[in-house]
Amino acid sequence: MRRSTRGGLAAVAATALLLSACGGDGADEAAVKACQITDTGGIDDKSFNETAWNGFLRAEEELGVEVKYLESTSEADYDPNIQAFLDEGCDIIITVGFLLGDATEAAAQANPDTKFAIVDYAYEAEYDNLLGMVFATEQAGFLAGYVSAAVTETGTVGTWGGINIPPVSAFMQGYLAGVNYHNDQKGTSVEVLGWDGADGVFIGSFEAQDLGNAATAEMLQNGADIVMPVAGPAGLGAGTAIQDFGSGSMVWVDTDGYISNPNFAGITLTSVEKKMDNAVFAAIQGVVDGTFAGGTYLGTVENGGVDISPFHDFEDAVPDDVKAELDDIRAGIIDGSISTTP
Amino acid sequence: MSGAAAPVRRRRRFAAFGGLLAALVAALLRADASARTAFVLNDARGARFPLPDLVVPVAGTVRILAALILALAVLLAVRGAGRRDAAVVGVMGGLAVVALLTWAGAGTSISVVSLLRGTLFAAVPIAFGALAGVLCERSGVINIAIEGQFLAGAFTAAVAASILGSAWWGLLGGIAAGALVGLMLAGLTIRFAADQIVSGVVLIVFATGVTSFLTSQLLAGTPSWNAPVRFQAFALPGLSDVPLLGPIVFDQTVLVYLMLLAVAGVQFGLFRTRWGLRLRSVGEHPAAADTVGIPVLRTRYRAVMLGGVLAGVGGSWFTLEAASQFSKEMTGGRGFIALAAMLVGRYSPVGALGAGLLFGFADALATALQRLPVPIPSSLLRATPYVITIVVVAGLVGRLRVPAADGKPYVKA
Repeated sequence: MRRSTRGGLAAVAATALLLSACGGDGADEAAVKACQITDTGGIDDKSFNETAWNGFLRAEEELGVEVKYLESTSEADYDPNIQAFLDEGCDIIITVGFLLGDATEAAAQANPDTKFAIVDYAYEAEYDNLLGMVFATEQAGFLAGYVSAAVTETGTVGTWGGINIPPVSAFMQGYLAGVNYHNDQKGTSVEVLGWDGADGVFIGSFEAQDLGNAATAEMLQNGADIVMPVAGPAGLGAGTAIQDFGSGSMVWVDTDGYISNPNFAGITLTSVEKKMDNAVFAAIQGVVDGTFAGGTYLGTVENGGVDISPFHDFEDAVPDDVKAELDDIRAGIIDGSISTTP
Repeated sequence: MSGAAAPVRRRRRFAAFGGLLAALVAALLRADASARTAFVLNDARGARFPLPDLVVPVAGTVRILAALILALAVLLAVRGAGRRDAAVVGVMGGLAVVALLTWAGAGTSISVVSLLRGTLFAAVPIAFGALAGVLCERSGVINIAIEGQFLAGAFTAAVAASILGSAWWGLLGGIAAGALVGLMLAGLTIRFAADQIVSGVVLIVFATGVTSFLTSQLLAGTPSWNAPVRFQAFALPGLSDVPLLGPIVFDQTVLVYLMLLAVAGVQFGLFRTRWGLRLRSVGEHPAAADTVGIPVLRTRYRAVMLGGVLAGVGGSWFTLEAASQFSKEMTGGRGFIALAAMLVGRYSPVGALGAGLLFGFADALATALQRLPVPIPSSLLRATPYVITIVVVAGLVGRLRVPAADGKPYVKA
């Protein structure tokens, strides 16, 4: 009896361990091996991690590199995941997420022969083998805020985030600034719920869609008709809340939500795109070409690293003069005449 | 400790807490004399019989509420309310929350409908999970695998409702998955008499691994398997038009109504039927139950399976009501909150519902306060449910009476 107990437990535990490990397929030895470590939320989060992974897939197809990934299910996974890829002999390890910043820096210092890149972290110090890729998402958020202020019917819009960290709040900061800019230029008085320039609504998670649903429903009940969730997959709860409420639309982030979330396509006004896939692809290409350099990459409206997506179903809802004004604003952001902080 | 002194001391502690609360409310929640808060009592989607907004002056209201709290504290100190002492503390806490909201909403408006709808919404998984815990532990099996049952239920409900095209099939799938995890727990803990805590942890890891793996391997490639038909809110004719109460209670999905039915059913079953007496007896004194001919192991098996069914319904909520697709680890630790709710509710079904509503309200309150211009960091506000847990468990619940044989495998002598 005793023995079979332990055997049963061990079998269940082993299955669990086996199933929670994952990775890409093997390839020939000569190819450059590019490896991604996700933050919590998973590789197929339809948002943050997935966009970065798309850059890997493009590199696999166009450059013939071997790609692999490991998912972090908690912050305790960061170091073991990096170590696992070091042991595997990855040529470049790309970590995806601000919270991986310290772990990645430590690994890059300890392993000068391996190339590292990280999405959403810029380091004070410069390392030859570590590229920090950050994005001026406030610039694209500004455009989304301006459009939202132009098309809102209730005069109230909302935004909420997963956790109050700079890569999240940057979207909200730009969004608020864009709404305020519209108010200044057009004499409107559109109000933003959920972000006041320093703090706001954060559900404390990037996975809990139900909390996202609740936060969005709260904003809709309090007058908002456009909501921008900045929380990876938890943001999908916003779409559910809007569908249940029966009216309203959302601004998706990181990737074009119209394409990545087909069931919410009809309520996606636009998306604040952070083209991590392009940056990741460029970093891998650098390793393949031997031109990889450490330092910092900043994606902006000017270099196409950030922008808003097409309006798709809302093409007719956004007036032509607003679209024209957006081009002026892009120019203003690029030449610095428009500030994207509120 | 003498028989009479303990309640008096407890009462004095409650009174001191009330006095402190009144002082905090009066001292911290300051506002300009002109500041007003508007409480919106209608559903933003429209109401058949609209109520006017309740607009109150902040400073005056806070002062009145502080005075009421102080009066209740004095009442407790002087003569007490007998068995209702704890309820008085609850009322004091409620008044303090109203004062906090009034103060936080200065110059703007707060939707009461949204706050209370949000409460009921968030209470569903917690109440179902806590009910599952009550059934298991009353029969003597500790079930910390509720989180795993939620994940399995949420995943299976999403896939079943997507493929079979009906939320009801999804619910059946979720129930089956919850019961399956329950069966595994029962097998490990009852048949093999394994350590119940370890078994629970293993099942959580197992469910997390399996659902995450299948999500990557199966659902990522076939999105049509992860687009469940969801339960829509069902407005009870007539009742849903009742001002304030209608949109909060009577315009909900079937899962909310099921929660209320399940609580009533389990409460009745546990304490008013032979089945309940037998179930409780194997959780209190299995040897005695065995002696009078109650099949201990079978009774426990059934209780754990039925718990799994209820936890499966709670898990289904995630993909049939709260979200439109399954995503990895989407239950976000709610199974553990359910476990806490079971303790706060003192192993009683009605208590489980009450605790679920308390946690649900804490979540809704956190969201509302984060939105309002309150000078408290959002991360601190998000901790509201946990702060409430600590306060309630430490101060109000009193000594828990755990089922005597809880956690002890029964092996026939």
